[in-house]
Amino acid sequence: MDFLILALQGGAASLAAYLAAHVLLCLVPAFFIAGALSALVPQASITRYLGPDAPRWVAYPAAAGAGSLLAVCSCTVQPLFAGIYGKGAGLGPAITFLFFAPAANILALSYTGVALGAEIAIARIVLALSFGIGIGMIMAMIFRRSEAARRGDARAFAGDGRVPPRTLLFLGTLVALLIAGTLKVDLLTATLWQHSMAWPEAASAQALLDRWVPANEATGAEGISLQGVALIALLAAIGAVAWRGLGLIDNGVNRLTVPALVLTVLTLAFAALGLRATEAGLDVTVSGRTLAVPLLCAALLPQVRRFEAWDMQQWLWETWRFVKMIFPLLVVGVFLIGVIRVFIQPEWIRAVAGSNTVAANLAGVVFGVFMYFPTLVEVPIAKMFLSLGMHPGPLIAYLMADPELSLQSILITAAIIGKLKAWTYVALVALFSTLAGLAYGAWVDGTPASTLILVVGGFVAALVVALNFIENRRSSC
Amino acid sequence: MLIKILGTGCAKCQRLEQLTREVVAETGIDASFEHVRDMKEIMVYPITTTPALVIDEEVVVFGRMPSKDEIVGWLKPA
Repeated sequence: MDFLILALQGGAASLAAYLAAHVLLCLVPAFFIAGALSALVPQASITRYLGPDAPRWVAYPAAAGAGSLLAVCSCTVQPLFAGIYGKGAGLGPAITFLFFAPAANILALSYTGVALGAEIAIARIVLALSFGIGIGMIMAMIFRRSEAARRGDARAFAGDGRVPPRTLLFLGTLVALLIAGTLKVDLLTATLWQHSMAWPEAASAQALLDRWVPANEATGAEGISLQGVALIALLAAIGAVAWRGLGLIDNGVNRLTVPALVLTVLTLAFAALGLRATEAGLDVTVSGRTLAVPLLCAALLPQVRRFEAWDMQQWLWETWRFVKMIFPLLVVGVFLIGVIRVFIQPEWIRAVAGSNTVAANLAGVVFGVFMYFPTLVEVPIAKMFLSLGMHPGPLIAYLMADPELSLQSILITAAIIGKLKAWTYVALVALFSTLAGLAYGAWVDGTPASTLILVVGGFVAALVVALNFIENRRSSC
Repeated sequence: MLIKILGTGCAKCQRLEQLTREVVAETGIDASFEHVRDMKEIMVYPITTTPALVIDEEVVVFGRMPSKDEIVGWLKPA
């Protein structure tokens, strides 16, 4: 019985910490950005660079851009991949797109940055970008003969795909909001003004919370603050109002729309405020972040007026659709991870992946391939591993492999490009993920970056030469 | 006229069908609908991304959600 309570407590603790600490300033703006990308940026604006006639140096970056801008969850990735590949974009750019999209979209990146630290987020995007393009080029090279037979259809890539400046400005402001809310730099975190409010019950209320949701440094359980409780309540209120206010927005602005948006802005502003319970009361801290977040929200308002009402409705509708699609999965996922964490002994993780070895990195990759987690749930799982003592190297290997490769996506990919190509892709991703983990792990352990670039570059060059050699041998006999 | 909606069953595709049906009902145009969900059939058309709206075998829009006014314009013969 005690065990059950411990498990449920673990789940509740991880959920509460997740809602209070990670969701607000990172995921709320990220959902709005994802909605804007989906509703306001025509997909043709990027896919037109992917046509069969596009030069390589345009097509590969465009494919990566399409990945991070157009596709927010793996369910959008597969149809887009089929579309791009089926209509004559080279196999290479299509593969780059398939690889890069799930790892580097705005939701995954901002969440990774907040939950695991900016360093791992940057490593994730840099490694995914370079290896995504690398794998795409290798695939294009290996299969260049069968590719030549496929006929392109340039019509599919035509079309007016300009992104209007007002959309760029709007997206820029939203991204600035995301950055202002999450980035840990002095300008944003320095205290500008502090005030202690007398509230004698604060300490006992905090003590009660600490008993319900105990913080534990050793296992990485964060506990929950008074501010966190208020934020969870606000989030619940937003959910209740937005259900109709944003969910039914496509029929026109209704009377719950404005309250839902105002509540969202207020919640963001409150989350950006520093609140800490002390013996005598509450310490209120105003930092650069506290000012930047409401200011940027206010800057959105005059911009909204420049769009047509229909576009704005689409934006909010898409945003809410993403929330409805992804948020429940995350909540359930985070709760279950909290429960599981109670049962996993740190020693197991340390024994398997505690140091940066080839075997440890392979273990990370294999775990990523055979466990299928819904969009973004790989992030809290990675956080659990990290707090249980996993080395950052195998962690990156896992983070690279999990969203790109799952049994399900392998099967769908095989249906689109054929078994031989799909399994070659899988092998390459597994190889490169292991390599990425080893390289990042070595960098964390103190190996200079220049040496690593040389070694990894040399390895990739050797691989390319070897594959080329095999291909030539095969065609000559 | 024959209106086809190309989509794999995503939320946007459902939404496009709903919008188009509303426009047809409002304008009283005589049209039949077909929602194409099969990836191979969809790929016969020159599009890269779903959803797409096809009127009498002519792709009028893909990859984004048109407004009702736009749909009215495509449905009414010029």
